[in-house]
Amino acid sequence: MAVQTEVSDIAAAAGPYDRARALSAFKLGDVTFYWITRLAAISVLLILGGIIVSLIIGAWPAMKAYGFEFLWTRRWAPSADPPVLGALGPIYGTLVTSFIAMLIAIPVGLGIAIFLTELCPQWLRRPIGIAIELLAGIPSIIYGMWGFFVLGPFLAYNFQPFMISLCANIPVLQDIFAGPPSYLSLFNASLILAIMVLPFITAISVDVFKTVPPVLKEAAYGVGCTTWEVVRSVVIPYTRVGVIGGIMLALGRALGETMAVTFIIGNSFRISSSIFAPGTTISAAIASEFQESDGLHQSSLILLGLLLFVLTFFVLAAARLMLMRLETKAGK
Amino acid sequence: MTDMSVSVSSPTAAIPAKSLPEAPAKVIARNLNFYYGDHHALKNINLSLGTNRVTAFIGPSGCGKSTLLRIFNRMYDLYPGQRATGQLMLDSTNILDPKLDLNLLRARVGMVFQKPTPFPMTIYENIAFGIRLYEKISKSEMDDRVEKALRGGALWNEVKDKLNASGLSLSGGQQQRLCIARTVAVRPEVILFDEPCSALDPISTAKVEELIQELSENYTIAIVTHNMQQAARVSDKTAFMYLGELIEFDDTSKIFTSPSDRRTQDYITGRFG
Repeated sequence: MAVQTEVSDIAAAAGPYDRARALSAFKLGDVTFYWITRLAAISVLLILGGIIVSLIIGAWPAMKAYGFEFLWTRRWAPSADPPVLGALGPIYGTLVTSFIAMLIAIPVGLGIAIFLTELCPQWLRRPIGIAIELLAGIPSIIYGMWGFFVLGPFLAYNFQPFMISLCANIPVLQDIFAGPPSYLSLFNASLILAIMVLPFITAISVDVFKTVPPVLKEAAYGVGCTTWEVVRSVVIPYTRVGVIGGIMLALGRALGETMAVTFIIGNSFRISSSIFAPGTTISAAIASEFQESDGLHQSSLILLGLLLFVLTFFVLAAARLMLMRLETKAGK
Repeated sequence: MTDMSVSVSSPTAAIPAKSLPEAPAKVIARNLNFYYGDHHALKNINLSLGTNRVTAFIGPSGCGKSTLLRIFNRMYDLYPGQRATGQLMLDSTNILDPKLDLNLLRARVGMVFQKPTPFPMTIYENIAFGIRLYEKISKSEMDDRVEKALRGGALWNEVKDKLNASGLSLSGGQQQRLCIARTVAVRPEVILFDEPCSALDPISTAKVEELIQELSENYTIAIVTHNMQQAARVSDKTAFMYLGELIEFDDTSKIFTSPSDRRTQDYITGRFG
């Protein structure tokens, strides 16, 4: 109403009211707005493309020198002449640490989220919620130090001997836990990664669990479901897109996490069957060697970075595919 | 049945001609009180739901109709700070007993909500899900039970070719009947309807009402509704509630023709509410 009078006032002041002109002013604003947002969106593509192109240019000498063999060569000898460089060690370390980290973080993270949204008494919600947020706010180097000084000795002198005695003479397991005690190990890095990505999984899961309409949960309780059945059959299916999104974000972070991992993984390019042996990841290898590298060595490190990029891309693509298949299965 | 749902012009015209004999009580409330924290929401409710009868609850918004319904299956238990006192018996079970197995209670007392609430799974699974909670049966038996339940929900003919489609792909009215079928599939004794038609179009409403009438042959039914014609059409007994109190509880025909309380009269003639 007010707008109408205003417009007619303006029209009265400006003589005969020209509707087309007023509209074209709006149109100009709209077009500007459209282009501003469009440029913002395009800039994302440009930045992404620029990073890929510069990685490829930087990695080109190594690609030319090693070809696809780079992927399955185990040796990493930058000071040999000519240098022999292969990515299998870091790729293996990256995949194994992320896998173990997710194996621990997904159940624990979802468990915390379910407890917080479905079971937790009201007064305990805020303290736990704040603790989770603080966990996300701790700088990664602090996790690294803690892993080195606290978790490392415990794993080396308490946990590993226990696992060795537990799994003695069990064919595959005894190799997984074998080896001399070491503060620096794949498993130590995996645990630290699990703690680091836990808040992502929990925070996102809590947020999406809260979007389940109460009446839907009531309906499930109404046919006689227990809390576990409500969570399993209604809450998680209803929110699976969000939950998987959170898990993928966490996995992305686990794959790329650098500082804490470099601190505690030991930076050994050797591939060992034991998870208590030192290893390395792609990002840890780059962080620890890039400063002193040159020539083919540096180019190989850039190629490692490109591989990490591709790896992350495939993980995200696999997640999308999984979501699509879940949706067809649910009959959407 | 059909002609009854057609003549909706005046409530009195729709009253069942036959007066059913007094049924044995299935659910009995004695001095039932309910509190949301400090708020005293229901005050000294005394009533009984007759076995295989439809009892309607009417009254203005906020009078406690839905609250009362949610006590019958202890749904309020999900929320801290809500509590009920007094006595509420389902046959010989004390519903308010804190040690009562709630899952079992809710299997005996099913509920259909205001908004359709299909679970995020296929139509088939929506039905089979509830059955599986209580019974381990073979695939063919399950197919049988699902078909029976969907027939019971008057939905079978519309969905039999797309049982594997998502429950969410159905129309609002179909979703609501799916929810009724799901409730029936568990074989409850009492079914609670909380404004089951308020989100539905007239045709779906007529179907659901017809379904409620059919279900009353085998189930004890309580229905909360804002639509007085609906109460008149489907129920045998009607309870009028106002500000947390049960004002009048009598045969539906009596409530809608010659209510004893002034406030009931005012409400059903549309003077307030």
